[in-house]
Amino acid sequence: MTRRSTAAAALLLTGAFALAACAPAGGDDPESGGSEATGEFSYIIAGDPTSLNPINVSDRWGLTVTNLVYSPLARVEADGSVRNELAESIEPAADGLSVTVTLKEGLTWSDGEPLTADDVVFTYTQKAIRENGNADLLWIGDAPITAAAADERTVVFTLPSVSAAALSNIATETYIIPEHVYGDVTDFSGAELDPVAVGSGPYVLTEYERGQYLTFEANPEFYGEAPNIEDVTLRIVANADTVNTALQTGEADASFATPEQIDQLEASGLDIYPYAEGRVAYLGLNLATPELTDQRVRQAIFSALDREEINTATWLSDEYYDSAYTFLPPGNPFATDDVETYDTDVDAAKALLAEAGAEDLTLTIAYAAADPAQTTQATLIQQQLQDAGITVELAGVEPAAVYTEIEKGAESAYHAFLGGYIMGQDPDAYSLLFRSGASANYFHYASPTADALFDEGAAQLDPDARAEVYARLQAQIAEDAVIYPLADNLKILAVNSRIGGVEDATPVPIYTLENFGLLTER
Amino acid sequence: MLAYVGRRLAQVVPMLLLLSFVVFALLHLAPYDVVDAVTTPQMSAETVALIRERYGLDQPFLVQYGLWLSNVLQGDLGYSLVSRHAIADDLAARIPATVLLVAPAYIAALLLAMVLGLVAAARRGTWTDRAIDALCGIGIATPSFWFALLVIYVFGYHLRWFPIIGMHSVGKQGDPVDFLLHFVMPFLVLTVAFFPDIARYVRSAAISQLDQDYVLVQRAFGATRGEVFARHVSRNVLLPIITQLGLALPLLVTGAIVTESIFGWPGVGPYFLTATRSLDYPVILAVLLLSATLVIIGNLIADILYVLADPRIRIGAAR
Repeated sequence: MTRRSTAAAALLLTGAFALAACAPAGGDDPESGGSEATGEFSYIIAGDPTSLNPINVSDRWGLTVTNLVYSPLARVEADGSVRNELAESIEPAADGLSVTVTLKEGLTWSDGEPLTADDVVFTYTQKAIRENGNADLLWIGDAPITAAAADERTVVFTLPSVSAAALSNIATETYIIPEHVYGDVTDFSGAELDPVAVGSGPYVLTEYERGQYLTFEANPEFYGEAPNIEDVTLRIVANADTVNTALQTGEADASFATPEQIDQLEASGLDIYPYAEGRVAYLGLNLATPELTDQRVRQAIFSALDREEINTATWLSDEYYDSAYTFLPPGNPFATDDVETYDTDVDAAKALLAEAGAEDLTLTIAYAAADPAQTTQATLIQQQLQDAGITVELAGVEPAAVYTEIEKGAESAYHAFLGGYIMGQDPDAYSLLFRSGASANYFHYASPTADALFDEGAAQLDPDARAEVYARLQAQIAEDAVIYPLADNLKILAVNSRIGGVEDATPVPIYTLENFGLLTER
Repeated sequence: MLAYVGRRLAQVVPMLLLLSFVVFALLHLAPYDVVDAVTTPQMSAETVALIRERYGLDQPFLVQYGLWLSNVLQGDLGYSLVSRHAIADDLAARIPATVLLVAPAYIAALLLAMVLGLVAAARRGTWTDRAIDALCGIGIATPSFWFALLVIYVFGYHLRWFPIIGMHSVGKQGDPVDFLLHFVMPFLVLTVAFFPDIARYVRSAAISQLDQDYVLVQRAFGATRGEVFARHVSRNVLLPIITQLGLALPLLVTGAIVTESIFGWPGVGPYFLTATRSLDYPVILAVLLLSATLVIIGNLIADILYVLADPRIRIGAAR
């Protein structure tokens, strides 16, 4: 380099770095480490919300925003108990055909208007319209659940037929929208309401810069405890490495993390909160393929696997996963241990294969190549099955492509695939995966016994009898060797140590925190 | 001249038609069901069918393409499948952000490359030339995502001089100091990504000029090397550089996809990447069409500037 260009380069660098010196000495100066109170909690999300319309929202970040701005009648907690929000009481009728909900007194919208039973009826009526895109939970068979206002504060829901699942579904997952604002809207199938967001949640949406952030401030009309932190910001950052660094510099307060990042984050003084999302990561079999129609072959495959080895290799420590043995996540109140768990037994596997005449079994297993967890699992499964004499070919593909291919059934190129699902608390929701011909039955599982048990469970109102039905169902599906459940891999929330109250705010599936308003600044 | 421009513009139409058809066909050949981008496993088959119908995904391939094309011809780029947001609005918000980042970076890279390229040419074969060549080689071989992470680590994490995320801090839109603080790191990364190619180009162009007779003549008349460079070589080198400028036009839209994604810069990059991941084909098509149009227009502009810069060149003249 000549002397002149060296000088030019030096000048350029000096100019650039002089800017750093101009940094305002305000609260968001990254060098301050974010130790003082700023009145703001900033949380990194991975992408724009797909929908901001509570009638049809179904994506993670859309639901996170919805839960900040709106409130449901009630929520189901991780242990299966119901926690009332807008509802003061929820009374199912003895015959199981109606539910009466009484609202709390003095509820108001963020614009100061009263929140009444009419708003509830309006919301449920719109949500039950199939064209609006999210009506499934409010239908039983081919008829919708209807709602009617008995007075200002009382709503009566009428069910077309008895459904235990519907009883738990009615009051939850539906966020109430104001009729006085949206009463004239004729089409609720869009992704945004106009005007955006008059709600009854702890926060109100103040600004949305697409691709950058959403800002919220405390809702002064909120019926619950007033939020401790005045402002919440959801920042949109897709790159995981950037997120990791931004957490360590204090540029953002919280985000999800992966097990590999934890040591580094903890060393930088972040608090780690692992919690169960009720997800089941599994190896699913395609029962329609000729090689796997024999139940003994499927059982042999499961017997050859070592669940703990796979889980530890994938999620590093049992702090970050709960092993799963049935199609229900281990934390689900209906989950049981009393099933065939297929403890590793290579000899038994070989014997079963010999019995079925399938000694030269070759399987193709599909997995998401971009997902490090599934890559680890696939490699270990290949190795473990090799010990039992089963040859495995791995197909690393895009997840969406896996399901499209698997749906071809007997013609599918894949015998098995790695996947995961979050279906929620009520065990009836899982019928979408395992009932004959159901929309998400990727396994091509068709068992009259299981179908009958799903029917029985959905209609059984007595909790103990219902639990017993689902215990039998879990045993049946395990016996039939349809999926090999690996674990409920925990979601890991990393939070800047200046933020407290995470336990009170309660980490929950999908929404991250049940109530962001209960976070505190230390 | 006008006839030439008109003829060139007319060629754009069939090219864009062909391009859009190929992209559309490839997206449909992909082994995915596009409706998966907008549905969840919790939805019943009826709901999925309803959504498929509403978005026109139940139509045959050619009908879908025809519908899309007729909308585009009416100036309507359509809606994102995933967010149902108007693509034209989204792009109108994102392109300025990308231009704001890419244009200064490209200009800086160009200036830097001119200096380095001419210096290398002037000192051909010396250690200076070799050092610049090595620098460019390293620059070309360094993936920009890796360099971006390195820059973030050093200046964002270790020294904590600059914020990492986005174009400005929340609530500080329009604050120039805040913008510049966010701007420095991605600007640096992009400048480093852009300059090596151009520098090598400038070097070889300058060397070919130095071999020309006029340089020898100038030296014979007693001009110093500096004078030859300033008055003659640098001007003649400008000509091929103009071509480069024209070809750089599409960079203003798609020039920083990786860098933008890493820094959370709200430009076209993250928008396009997200759309690709979810097979949001109206968005993919819109961005690709825009980019292809800019390639063609950029070429045209380069050709026209050529004529303006060098009176010896004539285009569209009678044969």
